[in-house]
Amino acid sequence: MAFTLRSVKVPPNSASLEEARGRVFDFFRQACRSIPTIMDIYNLDDVVTKSQLRSIIASEIRKNTHVTNPKVIDMLLFKGMEELNNIVEHAKQRHHIIGQYVLGRQGLAQDSDTKDEGTSDFLKNFYKSNYF
Amino acid sequence: MALRAAVLRHIRLPVQTLPAAGSRPQSQLSFLRLFSSHDDHLTKEEVIDRVLDVVKSFPKVDPSQVTPDVHFQNDLGLDSLDNVEIVMALEEEFKLEIPDKEADKIDSCNLAIEYIYNHPLAG
Repeated sequence: MAFTLRSVKVPPNSASLEEARGRVFDFFRQACRSIPTIMDIYNLDDVVTKSQLRSIIASEIRKNTHVTNPKVIDMLLFKGMEELNNIVEHAKQRHHIIGQYVLGRQGLAQDSDTKDEGTSDFLKNFYKSNYF
Repeated sequence: MALRAAVLRHIRLPVQTLPAAGSRPQSQLSFLRLFSSHDDHLTKEEVIDRVLDVVKSFPKVDPSQVTPDVHFQNDLGLDSLDNVEIVMALEEEFKLEIPDKEADKIDSCNLAIEYIYNHPLAG
């Protein structure tokens, strides 16, 4: 079945940080090579360019640069692979891709809106979560 | 025998040095080999131009600092993930598929230009 081709491989088991780093680059390359397919499936040609999608994938990976434990990196890679599989198998829809990956890169609109500029940081943190 | 060697020594033809880097044969014959598909290799200037364009259009790169010798991580201040991203952008531009081992070695514009120029399938 073409759907399970990507996930059939042995789950990653990195011994060292270097090996995990190599796997991250492999995952990134695999994701970049599926970008033309993704653009074709979801008709994203008018919305983003391939190089923007590459930058978006890179910034998603970069969100986790602080991780040092190779097993945690493996787990994150597994989740990334799962997400990539879902996207390529057309298990998601166009609005998912646009909402999760294309838009919202500049931060939420409510943070940069002029209406909330004067409010205190306390309120902003309160709106975000219970624990701060 | 000695006479023969002496005569041969005198009628030896002068040696001509070949023109530099085979540039003359290409310009002379390029208009003759119209139906050959062997000389649609990219010229070095074209490879350099396109590689520099790709690097300059990378969002984190300052276009004024890009030269053909620039090192991605040392001179342009990028990190290893940006390096991989630039190599992927070059793969897309030249319609190549660079194997991982070779892609890890491409660290600077020089190496990228060398690799692409020597790749037979570069488009």
